[in-house]
Amino acid sequence: MFRYVTTGVAGTVVVVLLAMTLFLLARAWPAVRIAGVGFLTEREWFPDATPARFGIAALLWGTLLSSTLALAVAVPVAIGSALYVTEYARPAVGRWIGYLVDVLAAVPSVVYGLWGLLFLVPRLVPVQRFLADHFAFIPLFRNPDGIYGKSVFAAAVVLALMILPIIAAVSREVFRQVPRELREAALALGATRWEVVRTSVLPPSRSGVVGAIILGLGRALGETIAVALVLASTFDIHLRILEPGGNTIAANIATKFGEAGDVGRSALIASGLVLFAITLAATVAARGVIRRTGVVGRP
Amino acid sequence: MPTPPAPWPSPGGCVGRPFTCRSPAVHGPYDLPRYVPGMRSRLAAALVLAAVAVAGCGTDDNSSRLKAGRPPAAPVAGANDRATLSGAGATFPATLVQEWIKHYGGLAPRVTINYQPIGSGAGIQQLTSKTVDFAGSDVPLKASEVEATGGAGAVVQVPWTAGGVAVEYNLPGIDSLRLTPQTLAAIFAGRVTKWNDPAIKAENPNASLPGSGIQVVHRSDGSGTTQVFTDYLKAVAPDIWTFPSTKDWPASTPGTGAKGSDGVTAAVKQSAGAIGYAEPSYPKQAGLPIATIRNQAGRFVAPEATAVSAALAAATVKADGSLALNFTAPSPEAYPISSASYLMFYRAASDAARDTALRHFAAWALTEGQALAEGLDYAPLPEPVQMAALAAVKL
Amino acid sequence: MSATPSALRSGRMSAGQAAAAAGGGVVLTGVAFAVTPLQGRAGFLVLGYVAGVAAYLLAAARLESRRSVVDRLAAVLMVTTVGVCLLALGSVLLYTVARGVKAMDWYFFTHSMNGVGPRDDAGGAYHSIIGTLQQVFLAAVIAVPSGLLVAIYLTEYGRGGLASLVRTVIDVMVGIPSIVAGLFIYAFWVLGLGRGFSGFAAALALSILMLPIVVRSAEEMIRLVPAELREASFALGIPRWRTILRVVLPTASAGITTGVMLAVARVTGETAPLLLTAFGFDSIKNDPFSGPQSSLPLFVFSQASSAFTTAVDRAWAGALTLIAVVLLLTVAARLVTRRNRLV
Repeated sequence: MFRYVTTGVAGTVVVVLLAMTLFLLARAWPAVRIAGVGFLTEREWFPDATPARFGIAALLWGTLLSSTLALAVAVPVAIGSALYVTEYARPAVGRWIGYLVDVLAAVPSVVYGLWGLLFLVPRLVPVQRFLADHFAFIPLFRNPDGIYGKSVFAAAVVLALMILPIIAAVSREVFRQVPRELREAALALGATRWEVVRTSVLPPSRSGVVGAIILGLGRALGETIAVALVLASTFDIHLRILEPGGNTIAANIATKFGEAGDVGRSALIASGLVLFAITLAATVAARGVIRRTGVVGRP
Repeated sequence: MPTPPAPWPSPGGCVGRPFTCRSPAVHGPYDLPRYVPGMRSRLAAALVLAAVAVAGCGTDDNSSRLKAGRPPAAPVAGANDRATLSGAGATFPATLVQEWIKHYGGLAPRVTINYQPIGSGAGIQQLTSKTVDFAGSDVPLKASEVEATGGAGAVVQVPWTAGGVAVEYNLPGIDSLRLTPQTLAAIFAGRVTKWNDPAIKAENPNASLPGSGIQVVHRSDGSGTTQVFTDYLKAVAPDIWTFPSTKDWPASTPGTGAKGSDGVTAAVKQSAGAIGYAEPSYPKQAGLPIATIRNQAGRFVAPEATAVSAALAAATVKADGSLALNFTAPSPEAYPISSASYLMFYRAASDAARDTALRHFAAWALTEGQALAEGLDYAPLPEPVQMAALAAVKL
Repeated sequence: MSATPSALRSGRMSAGQAAAAAGGGVVLTGVAFAVTPLQGRAGFLVLGYVAGVAAYLLAAARLESRRSVVDRLAAVLMVTTVGVCLLALGSVLLYTVARGVKAMDWYFFTHSMNGVGPRDDAGGAYHSIIGTLQQVFLAAVIAVPSGLLVAIYLTEYGRGGLASLVRTVIDVMVGIPSIVAGLFIYAFWVLGLGRGFSGFAAALALSILMLPIVVRSAEEMIRLVPAELREASFALGIPRWRTILRVVLPTASAGITTGVMLAVARVTGETAPLLLTAFGFDSIKNDPFSGPQSSLPLFVFSQASSAFTTAVDRAWAGALTLIAVVLLLTVAARLVTRRNRLV
């Protein structure tokens, strides 16, 4: 009898999730029908106007740009610290550093947003000015208007802090699972510590680390509040990350849900489903990549 | 190492169960985590203590710390009402509405009123969905909104305060800025992009304007303040402001968006060289200067309460309860960008106690409450408007 | 025997030489800052660090072989990344503590925001604390039993198609962005069923986020219970369901408790779904089933976007309270169990 209870609950969970997906799809359909292909190409967001004109092009761009930048900042730091903890540090020191980095993961996102808005953004202004003045030959850092404040760059730094502990924790786990024999073999051949890492630890861990990175990407894509507090809400598509502006799908939902009419709500749900699809793809990719690790040791 | 279970999956070397197994070759003989002896009872004790500590501890009575306001004149009709009212809407009147709630709380102690400033568009939407009891909006319902709420007359809309839309800016060292309607329209339309543009310099010859860019900050949410502001720009400079006038800022102009009047003010405060529009109490509290705008009579006026009253003095109340605004009022004291802010609620309410309490509160706000307006830079309603509004809300 | 290649035999820089080189680099930066237009404390720290490291590596290059220098460079880079991590963590925590304690007093914890105007230096977070506690408790009441049952199904009874389907569904649920969970409850419960904003709606959204975490961790812990215990129980003739309830679950209970506490800690900090379901309320609302309710993350979010300094101070105090609650739960979760391993 107990078996039926547990089976029933498990089945209910599956049914609930399927129903939820179907409900959201049904609610999202009217907006997609009204916008047509423009849903993916239109930048502006006026779903409740007549004629309705809305699309997620700028939102999708902002989401992907800020998440990719966050990865670019977070991945070297995370992998470096994971390597330090597993290879270079004494076990006790490594354990404590691991705990501290995990504490970073426990901080709620609204606190990151608050800290980012009130502490980081004013202090990043000179850094942004420096980058725009001296590195303007890179299109990423151009800022013709010379106005600095909340920007995609600041949001990327805050996001990087949030995904750093995830990538670091998973990478630590991956590096730990490299068999001791591989390391000892390299040491026996006279390798320096870095050469041991380069030849015996990194190659077998490659797919695990890629999985960790994709997990971090998934977290960054779905982040709402920290980004909503640190971004300045524009609907443009450009690469100038030092300019005020930027918007992501999640932040847009949080800002606009209150005033959305029927079409507006439908459009927001549609954009939420697109976001869900992207994060799902990232999670599935992560699982696939990690699963292929198989027996550790095969590079 | 992350002790299990980490909230994110950990990769494994185990085929088929990549997230849930650990290889004993790496981690050594693996023991199931066991309770630290005594921890269970300690946990339970801590939980019980925390629950008891939190349960009876708090109060809604903030009077010990609130600045002493005007002493209440007389007991009100709603003194014995008992209800919880939740409202939402425009950030424009929020400062005054919250002051009203503070004072009314002393007069009608069993009525709890809450007002969430989320923007006019959101307020109207929540009222349509019936998730709030009343809404605040800077603009009356448009035709589609009237239909959505159940046809003409289903929603009572009355102006309950008035104010000017202040143009706030952040230019260190420049305490006063004069702007003509045309310059204002050009700045917000993106045609004037630098502070030392000749158009701005013409009216401010003594100010040392920097050569930096102007960062325009507008509302990112559906805002009645935006509607009033864009209505004004379209009325006084239609050749420069060629965009529509709606609650949503037209996206093709440059500038960044912020949520709520408080968000715009915070954004302007943060960036030197920024300019935005909000209700005057916000920049005053944040320490930001407000620009003076040239009115129809040629004088540069600031959005003080007397200036707003002068602008609305000749306003008339339309059949649906809204005020007809005149952005080119002839009075030399008038502040041109003045508007009223509306209270909206359903005429046929489902809950009689709430309806009574709401109408009593509205009546108080329209009478004794108006005396609090000037201290907060809102304008008291002109008498004919006030009378019409009272007639609409009385029981 | 051929001559030993010089790469295998080289000098070693002593600690004193390393320190001298690094110190020299820092001093050089100091001189540069005094003489040239370069200025700023942050700039000095960054450039001094870079110069010290560069000098250290240059000295190593003169005294040691190339491989050794590369090794030192790698070590320095790694230490730098750890330093950046810890610096960031320290910055977030210490700044929050510093700004938060200013507005935190007994008044803050015992009063709500009822009747407080935006300029008033009054009001506190009591209503938000009550809201958070109620919403998280309700979410746990919904998610923990169901999660346990699903985990038991997956480990004990599940076989074949349905089990892998359930596992896939749980994996998908882990990846739901929190705003989408909130959007679903908003569209379905708040508007669709017409129930309006409430603390309970927030609890529903939070339970969608909590369930997969509880299932994952409970599954892992139940799997760790040694097969011998189960087999001994069967050998005594005890039916399967009793074995699960009386043998397996109690054995795994420490780990499951840890997992539940970590899930609660994670969900306490979620803001996005609360925006759309609990909506926010300034006064104490003791009934989570009717009408909008506040909660700590909502409190921090709404106070944070204000331009008034009194509100921002309250936001920091709320943020500190939130961090304290989440960290306490996380630390307590780890203290509850004991591991019989060295690491």
